[in-house]
Amino acid sequence: MISRANVNASAPSKSPDDDIDAENPDTALYEKLGELTRFIDKTIKTISQFSAPMSATTEQLPDATTHLRDLRKLTEEGTHKVMQLVETVEDNRTRIFAQLDALKQHVTGDEAAAVEAIRAGLKKDDKPLIDIITALSFQDLVAQRVNKLVTIIEEVQHKLLELVVVFGPYTKGAGKEESGKAAEMLKQLEASKKTSMNQDVADEILKQFGFH
Amino acid sequence: MPADLNMKILVVDDMSTMRRIVKNILKQLGFSNMDEAENGQEALQKLRADTFGFVVSDWNMPVMPGIELLRAIRADEKLKHIPVLMVTAEAQKENLIEAIQAGVNNYVVKPFTAETMQEKINKIFNK
Repeated sequence: MISRANVNASAPSKSPDDDIDAENPDTALYEKLGELTRFIDKTIKTISQFSAPMSATTEQLPDATTHLRDLRKLTEEGTHKVMQLVETVEDNRTRIFAQLDALKQHVTGDEAAAVEAIRAGLKKDDKPLIDIITALSFQDLVAQRVNKLVTIIEEVQHKLLELVVVFGPYTKGAGKEESGKAAEMLKQLEASKKTSMNQDVADEILKQFGFH
Repeated sequence: MPADLNMKILVVDDMSTMRRIVKNILKQLGFSNMDEAENGQEALQKLRADTFGFVVSDWNMPVMPGIELLRAIRADEKLKHIPVLMVTAEAQKENLIEAIQAGVNNYVVKPFTAETMQEKINKIFNK
């Protein structure tokens, strides 16, 4: 019979866990299971702490995409407005050119030279006017980037929603109570939509207060 | 041979602002006969229903992107001769190579100037 002392003497150095295993395997198993249970419990608590912010973020994202779409629309409308004004100027110039051409038929000498000088002066605006129009192509680039951002945000929203559904009960409206920076900014944006007014409305109110 | 100023030009872009910008530049260059389409599919319908001498198309568009429109034009016996100028924000080399392989006549990267567009149009029609 080989004594315990002999085994220990001939074996390589052992860890304390090995000693426990050797002495009472059931206790070791329970300790390991207990450790695992505490870890799972802690993990679930940690995840549940994230659940509310995730819900909040998931609910804020559609608002953010709406604002991005509004931004795209505003830049589009502004761009059309500027183009419309430039086109009006161009139409006026076309009419003036035609009138100058007609006038030139009836004058000679210095008067004809003066008409030609006016024509040349007007012609100098060709390039700046078309440069204004082409500079407005920034709007197309803005719109394309906004579209990409909206796609990314929608994808993130979808993934967040999946996480919320998997890791915790999703409570619709939970995010509304969040007081984070993003939530505050979204509130301000939403409020500005309701409170902003155009000049016509402002003039109407001013008129009611005696301003003319 | 210089471009025929009376030829009908189709401007294809999903952004109304871009269509207006391109049409303004073309007008400045002396062209007056222009039509527009919002995507490749609408463009193809218009190209098949009328006679166009030139197409200016964006790349990124819903329904049918510009590159597919280009391929459809080149695959159509009646349309394949029409010069196509791509005006796009797709500034990657791969995009340009793809467009060249599909049969594009020239390529303008956004943002661009009227001079650039004029230069490209001249290159297309003075070949």
